[in-house]
Amino acid sequence: MDTKFSDYFSVKLMWSRIPYLVKKIPITLELAGLAFLVSIVIGLLIAVIRYKKVKILSPIATAFLSLMRGTPMLIQLYVAYYGIPAILRIFNSWGANIDVNVIPKMVYAFFALGLYQAAFTSETFRAALESVDKGEIEAATAMGMTYGQVLRRIIVPEALENALPGICNSVIGLVKGTSLASTCGIIEITYQNQILAGRDYRYLEGYVALAIIYWIITIILEKIFKLVEKKFRIPEQPKTVEEV
Amino acid sequence: MAILELKDIHKSFQDNVVLDGINLSVNKGDIVGIVGPSGTGKSTLLRSINLLERPEQGEIRFEDITLNLPLKGKERKSVTALRKRIGMVFQKFYLFEHKTALQNVMEGLITVQKKPKKETEQIALDALEKVGLKAWKNHYPKHMSGGQQPRVAIARTLAMKPDIILLDEPTSALDPELVTEVLTTIKAIAEQGYTMLLVSHEMDFVSKISNRVLFLDGGKIIEDGTPEEVFRHPKSDRAKEFFDKMNKLKEPEFFI
Repeated sequence: MDTKFSDYFSVKLMWSRIPYLVKKIPITLELAGLAFLVSIVIGLLIAVIRYKKVKILSPIATAFLSLMRGTPMLIQLYVAYYGIPAILRIFNSWGANIDVNVIPKMVYAFFALGLYQAAFTSETFRAALESVDKGEIEAATAMGMTYGQVLRRIIVPEALENALPGICNSVIGLVKGTSLASTCGIIEITYQNQILAGRDYRYLEGYVALAIIYWIITIILEKIFKLVEKKFRIPEQPKTVEEV
Repeated sequence: MAILELKDIHKSFQDNVVLDGINLSVNKGDIVGIVGPSGTGKSTLLRSINLLERPEQGEIRFEDITLNLPLKGKERKSVTALRKRIGMVFQKFYLFEHKTALQNVMEGLITVQKKPKKETEQIALDALEKVGLKAWKNHYPKHMSGGQQPRVAIARTLAMKPDIILLDEPTSALDPELVTEVLTTIKAIAEQGYTMLLVSHEMDFVSKISNRVLFLDGGKIIEDGTPEEVFRHPKSDRAKEFFDKMNKLKEPEFFI
């Protein structure tokens, strides 16, 4: 019996798979978006702590960073998935009354993804903070600004421009990272594909369709960040001098 | 009347004593030129006045603000209050790279002095006009020449209407042509009655605009008087030697 290429890979089937997957894109984006917020807030916090070398907190932040960077995201997801209920059960044995099954699955993914990315984002932020000219900070201080004002008005706006390419990377990393959240039982696009392929065993078509979807999302994000970066950058050419 | 008084200021970096008991009293309207060899604490002295450097010992009194060093918790607020009234122009200008010339000048007025935006813009434009850069208000620092940048820095300081202006070698990073450009601007300000402390290696300029000159060496003020007294008739050997060396450069290389 002859086997045709379409027996292994049917382009038609792949296209027909895409609309079913697209339906779950909001879940993917929601996961990535929430994790992004967590990573930005915690990342900035860690970065400022390490930048200012805050006592006690700085070594804790460094240890956290080392742990998060030193272990795979998949393992962290599993640890969160099995670990959080385990901890809650201990609390319950002490008399607390928390229903472990009620915790939304999103929470695990949200924590694991967010904290994992926070570790990387914090380094982006720290490098950006350190790139701000010390002289400008001094000039602002000499004007009579408090450190909080210097941070808000001078350091953060300048650091942000330098951090943008890194933040873009981190968003893209998060979007792709959400595919691992399927292991926590969240039905986002990757898990959706597992379900659909489970019916007709057309895994390859599904994975290729997924690849296309992730790729397109990434391209759109890159374009958005390009625009944002352009908005932040000082133009190469000066404006024309106004006649007085 | 003394507007600023320094008493017995000591500052070291590790084992290196930079300021070794400085006593100084500056009157309102004084234009004080500070000269001397490199590394003798001229910049550190200026930077100690607005506490960018923290001297280990001494007392700084500026009008109603008195700071006893080293600072204690409560006095930190007075430092900010002091800085609000003392302006500084840095050797490398340190303009805010991400703000236009106008925004640079407006920054302190908005953030520190909390003036309404409309008023701020007018003050800033006036300040830029004084240094002849009103037309460049929308330029970013990187688009401005080496002579324009210090003038924006001067406008930024002037706009805050400080009681004292500290100028830390504002021309030492410039080529000779630009030096003239900046010195003309400084001279114009000096004539408006500001109290100024100017660290500079431009001896001719210092002697022209200041009414008092300090010669620093080894962290001490070793000459203090009018430009005439310090430059023409220095009392100490160290100052004599320093000015002799400077004058040698001006002599012709050959005599015929």
